[in-house]
Amino acid sequence: MIEVKNVTKKYGNFLAVDNISFTVNDGEVVGFLGQNGAGKTTTMNMITGFIEPTEGQIIVNGLDIHKKPTTVKKQIGYMPEGVPLYTELTVKEFVKYMAELKKVSRKERKEKIELVLKETGLEEVANRQIRNLSRGYKQRVSLAGALIGNPEVIILDEPTVGLDPKQITDIRALIKNLGKKHTVILSSHILSEVSQICDKVIIINKGKIVAIDTPESLEKKTQSKNALLITVEDKENNMIKLKEEIPEILECKLIKDNEDGTKQYVVESEVEVDLRKKMFEVLPKKEITIFELKKAEQSLEDAFITLIENNTQEIKEEKQKDTRENQKKDKKEENKSTEEKKAKKNKSSKKENGGNN
Amino acid sequence: MWAILKKECKTYFASPIGYVFIGLFLAMFSILFYITTISQGVTTFQYVFFYSAMYSLVFIIPLLTMRMFAEERKNGTEQLLLTSPRNMIEITLGKFLAATLVILITEIFTLVYFGILCYFKTPDIPAVAVSMLGFLLLSMAYIAFGMFISSLTENQIIAAVVTIAAFVLTWLAPNISMKLVSFSLIEQFYPFVTGVFPIAETINLLLLTIMFIILTIIVMKRRKLVK
Repeated sequence: MIEVKNVTKKYGNFLAVDNISFTVNDGEVVGFLGQNGAGKTTTMNMITGFIEPTEGQIIVNGLDIHKKPTTVKKQIGYMPEGVPLYTELTVKEFVKYMAELKKVSRKERKEKIELVLKETGLEEVANRQIRNLSRGYKQRVSLAGALIGNPEVIILDEPTVGLDPKQITDIRALIKNLGKKHTVILSSHILSEVSQICDKVIIINKGKIVAIDTPESLEKKTQSKNALLITVEDKENNMIKLKEEIPEILECKLIKDNEDGTKQYVVESEVEVDLRKKMFEVLPKKEITIFELKKAEQSLEDAFITLIENNTQEIKEEKQKDTRENQKKDKKEENKSTEEKKAKKNKSSKKENGGNN
Repeated sequence: MWAILKKECKTYFASPIGYVFIGLFLAMFSILFYITTISQGVTTFQYVFFYSAMYSLVFIIPLLTMRMFAEERKNGTEQLLLTSPRNMIEITLGKFLAATLVILITEIFTLVYFGILCYFKTPDIPAVAVSMLGFLLLSMAYIAFGMFISSLTENQIIAAVVTIAAFVLTWLAPNISMKLVSFSLIEQFYPFVTGVFPIAETINLLLLTIMFIILTIIVMKRRKLVK
């Protein structure tokens, strides 16, 4: 179990991670989602003990990483961003070095190395120098380095970046398999990946956690309208009048005019209303033939963008509020000072006047 | 520590660096050997170490030290090392000892020249042994300093240039003012060549080595906070 409690990381004045807290339970696969520079890598680097948080506490399996670094680090396998490797070594030498670094006992070492090489599909290239390998293989070598020693917690920073589709599916399957026995944290900006692999999603924006939830309920939560995609043959153009017929329709929009005479419309309604049945009843009466009808599901991608946009908006508004308040204060102070000046002037002029009198 | 030591040695000899270092050193050593002993017709082998410390070691030590931490930082492999369950002391000592081992291997090669001299006349063996020990101690101090500089930057060239500059400055310091003589490591090394084992200088060089090793550890530990 990993507990992150009120963790903040500052670089000078820049807040990279701003007071985040979350828990990852044993056997969970958790995905970090966020734009570039949102604080994903920084958070992972703090969990692995590579950098220290400015404030807050990180507890892995009941132990504070700051107080018991060696014990904790032994339980973590980390695949850093950008797959750093000792390119002058061969694949086997590298994995062996990582095993030695992680204090895998001499007896088990050989067996475990073989196992990891097999798991990551590196047996064929085991004796080749890493510098001569393709990007996909390098990625797998890095993954092998994280997996050696069978750590309880596996942290992967963008594990599928730069791979071809076949390799991506392979790695995803591997991660899914790992999730059965290990606790896995991974970061990604590919949303479909996260929704496929992860049990839980943590969305970060500008160093703050925007949402922690399952991929499914995130999709549901951010859904504001029910939309149907419908392809019809409609010779008399009756679709436009459909709104009068079915009052629940909020909007009916033509989105595509196909060459074969069919047209595609998007029909929107409130979330609780399902129009599918009604469409099948009403449209034939209007001499509209339905070719295709399906529910347009909002993807995690949309959910992500809505959340991030809302959050960024909030942050902006807060800032504006602050600046406005500051401006108000400034103005008030200015007014005060001008008033004081005026008062002084008045006094002095009065004095002068008095002197004259 | 052994794991790191082993891997570092592998890196020295899997890349050209180890060979270039030993090759360059022995080339210079050969020239100095010819000039100071063969052409003079003497067998004062210990002086070859003194001159090669002055004219070659100063310039080629950075070959061993510049990559130590700078390369790891640049390639990001530092992350692998620092997130492994090894503490900074092990990591630093492993790297330091690997470079020292390269020096030891080089010294073993110089025994060939010793053999050549033996053909003419057996040189003063205690003097040679003491100066070889002194040479090792001096190299260790240089390595520790070079390692410290390497831990400060991620640019190997900067690490090398700063290291050489610092060595040359301390080497020439006594020429500027005799008050600065205690800064010069070459001066610390000189008593070893006379064949008498100098305790004060030994302690001096060892302390210097330990000081820079500790400084390296401190720098690397602090990086966790500022990185």
